[in-house]
Amino acid sequence: MKSLAMRIYRRLAYAFPHEFQMVYGADVLQLGEDAIDDIWARHGILGLIRLIVDISIRLPVEYLAEMRQDFAYARRTLWKSPGFAAVGILSLGLGIGIAAFASSEFFNLILPDAPRIQNPNRLVMLQGVSYPYFEHYRDDQRTLFTGVAAYQGPVPFNVSLAGATAASITKAERIFGHIVSPEYFSVIGVRAARGRTFDPQIDKPGNAPVVFLSDRFWRERMNQDAGAVGRSIRVNGQTATIIGIGPEDFLGVVPISPAEIFVPTTSPAAMVPELAGDTLHQPASKFFSALVRLAPGVTLKSAEAALDTVTRRLDADSLDPARNVKGRRVTLLPGGKVVPLPREIVPVVLALNIVLIGLVVGIACMNLANMQLARATTRRREVAIRLSVGASRFRLIRQLLTENVLLALIGGGVGVLLAFWVASVFEKLKLPLDVPMNLNVTPSWRALLFTFAVSLASGITFGLAPALTATRSDLSSTLKEGALAQTRGFRRFGLRNLLMVAQVAGSLMLLLLAGFLIFGFEETNRVKIAFDPQKMYLISIDPVRDGYTAEKAANFFENLPDRLKRLPGVQQVALTEEAPFAPLAGISTLAAPSGPGRPEQVVEKVNKQTIGAGYFASLSVNLLAGREFDSRDQKIDVTKGAVLPVVINQAAASEFFGHADPLGRRITEASRAYEVIGVATNIPSPLGARGEGDQLATQIPVVYLPLTRTEFAHSPRGGMVVMIRSAQGADSMEAVRREVASLDPNLVIFNVRTLAEQVDRVSAIIRLDTFFYGAIGGFGLILATIGLAGVTAYSVARRRREIGIRMALGARKGQVLRLVMREGGALVVAGSLFGFFGAIIVARVLSAVTNLFGPSFTAGIRDPRLIFGAPLLLASFALFACYIPARRSAKIDPLIALREE
Amino acid sequence: MPKPENFLPLKTNWFHILLSLAAGEQHGYGIMQEVLDRTSGKVRLWPATLYGSLKRLIEEGLIEESSDRPARELDDARRRYYRLTRLGRRVLDAESERLHDLVRILELKRAEAH
Repeated sequence: MKSLAMRIYRRLAYAFPHEFQMVYGADVLQLGEDAIDDIWARHGILGLIRLIVDISIRLPVEYLAEMRQDFAYARRTLWKSPGFAAVGILSLGLGIGIAAFASSEFFNLILPDAPRIQNPNRLVMLQGVSYPYFEHYRDDQRTLFTGVAAYQGPVPFNVSLAGATAASITKAERIFGHIVSPEYFSVIGVRAARGRTFDPQIDKPGNAPVVFLSDRFWRERMNQDAGAVGRSIRVNGQTATIIGIGPEDFLGVVPISPAEIFVPTTSPAAMVPELAGDTLHQPASKFFSALVRLAPGVTLKSAEAALDTVTRRLDADSLDPARNVKGRRVTLLPGGKVVPLPREIVPVVLALNIVLIGLVVGIACMNLANMQLARATTRRREVAIRLSVGASRFRLIRQLLTENVLLALIGGGVGVLLAFWVASVFEKLKLPLDVPMNLNVTPSWRALLFTFAVSLASGITFGLAPALTATRSDLSSTLKEGALAQTRGFRRFGLRNLLMVAQVAGSLMLLLLAGFLIFGFEETNRVKIAFDPQKMYLISIDPVRDGYTAEKAANFFENLPDRLKRLPGVQQVALTEEAPFAPLAGISTLAAPSGPGRPEQVVEKVNKQTIGAGYFASLSVNLLAGREFDSRDQKIDVTKGAVLPVVINQAAASEFFGHADPLGRRITEASRAYEVIGVATNIPSPLGARGEGDQLATQIPVVYLPLTRTEFAHSPRGGMVVMIRSAQGADSMEAVRREVASLDPNLVIFNVRTLAEQVDRVSAIIRLDTFFYGAIGGFGLILATIGLAGVTAYSVARRRREIGIRMALGARKGQVLRLVMREGGALVVAGSLFGFFGAIIVARVLSAVTNLFGPSFTAGIRDPRLIFGAPLLLASFALFACYIPARRSAKIDPLIALREE
Repeated sequence: MPKPENFLPLKTNWFHILLSLAAGEQHGYGIMQEVLDRTSGKVRLWPATLYGSLKRLIEEGLIEESSDRPARELDDARRRYYRLTRLGRRVLDAESERLHDLVRILELKRAEAH
């Protein structure tokens, strides 16, 4: 018993920190041995336990004391060199701040599951599905899937709550929600907190209208009314019954665009205009998304393959042009995520983030390491003295590391503040979206933990090398020579030079990559407007959701442009479903049928827009051939299977018809056919370019369809946009408001903005990106400059004696200057070469794997301003950074330098 | 030199150690034994705590390591000896004074109560 206790005691005694060990180790051991008999005799087994407990408590206390000492010492040293500390904290802070911000995007939006959804990993989503297709998926694949639901959203509803009396109806608000098939809630596994959810057995077409509300709606708009279930609510002018309230935090399957109201597909079209025109039986109206719950053991791949087979069969049956698309027809997205990003994109986004974060933090750390190395030379005496009086090398290394860790932690704190600030700026930004978006990038605890780990790791990793070098030295010679002694490992390929080359390379890479993105974005997102955009106003009107019947709404829109045009000062009026210069989403697949000597031409990723008469004229956009829509086209009855006239842009003309004349030619989509009546010049708009791999970006092909009574009957989710161009701008707006009010005082005019504001909102996102990447690029540049200045200053200090001798032997100042500059110059050239090719390789790889940045990178790589400008900019900064300390070398007085020995 | 009052009230361990050194220099084992004897076995300074306290006392300047060795026949060459510094002695005096005052006040109160 006693000997066991003694063995443990001895073990623990050896574990004390080195310095304590040196002084007291033997005594503690001895005392234990001397006292153990007495302890055993007096206290028995409890005494032995007490002995062990006592020493095990003491151990961490001693370590903590030593750490506190280290921190106090580090604080004092940093306090004594505030310049070094400030630069270190600032550069690390910037780097870590960028890392924290970028990682919160990942941790908040990309990684997390959508709240409240059961077993989200087994839920997948297929976008762009028509309702008949969904029904086949649901009924044909019962072995692979345990449930399939369809939804369409986000969709706006004009919602008002009826009060106790008929007069106390609240003002209608535009609330976004989902149109869902009755299986929706059971498939995603969400239960009602109150009332019930939809049920295919209960909710059938022809039933009285019902709605399901989110918890947020119930809290914020119904004051948590306990009797909410069963109350009636007005939705788009129709009365419906509330049947249930959702659980807390549940905002639909894609909570980044929150859904607050859920309406079943069994609702009458009068309440849900999206369901008008027998949409549920149209294979071509692919506005739904299918939610698929995989059966246990079914892999994503097999599900995708099965859906692909079904879809191809259905495509063949319905003569959908997509049937001719080669490769995979069906791509499943995760269904239970905040943002349903395709699985292949996640690693790309992650990789880009890691590369950027790695470069930024890496450069900041290398900079710190470099400065520490430079300091190490001046601190050699201090280190040598401490070593010679018995400090262990391990302890000294730890002490130097503590300094770095302290810097990194303070830098981390600065970085986190920065991240919070950027997040708050980002939140205030008004995004050019018709639907609400919940873009929360405030750092979460996971991002903060990650940041903390990054700063700690960087502090330790990049402190280690300088600490090792600083403590590895020949004591006696150092003490004799002081700060001028040569440090080992600082030869041509020494650590410092390698670090410096890496830093220059990294900085140039950052600068170039940031530049590619900025110039590329600018190139691909430029907006050209032929007139003063302050003079065009855009207003939105949504009469169907204000309770109009389809007939009444169509009549209203047919008359509105003429009424407005008669107002004084108004020059042009046009209707459109989507505001001009919005980011283009090319999602449709259309085909030009085969003709004599020409095979069928299928074009993917086509953008479809629906516009009214006079659209191009009001935007001063030229038509290259044919004509644009006029009021006759708006009267075409689509339901009778008429061939719709379309206008296409140049890009579409060349993709569908090559060099042939497109006028009068046909384009088909599913069972619908169009006839080309005009060709418009491309309207450049943000994200309007597409590019695959390293091809030069091209404009997205656009097919313009005419607004007809069908569109008037159910306006898009942003309402119908009325474009009003006038001579005076703002003054005409009052007249416009009065005119609309005289037509119907109950119509709501919303989202009033000038074209300039519209374009501004769209480009705000792009500007933010530009700012972000610009900051990264500039940051790299500044750090590289500081680093180079440090290296050169160090080199000058190290070669004082040599320079003194050279000057004593007759070297001129210019020669000395050149000598010093040559060294820095070589590093810059080497680093620039690596950085240049590194950046091009990274840009090529990134643009090859993703279409997201592809067009920007390809446009950026070919920009001579970057290819020559960036290295020149870096070189001039670098030379400047070398020159300042190098000039000091020329001022060395040989007499003083030589006397110092 | 820091004021002795800054150290008051003294930690029990520190007080016992200073008290053991009041008579003259002593090594760790001696201090432990003396405290045990003095308190008839009630207070034991456990080894690691004892040396931890000695280290802190040295850092604070209350005791120091002694280079004088006791008479040869009593000397234990393996051990370090410690002794009070001037500050240590003054701290011990101040603490004794404080305790003494406390006891006096206590007795006065008791006398009044009777």
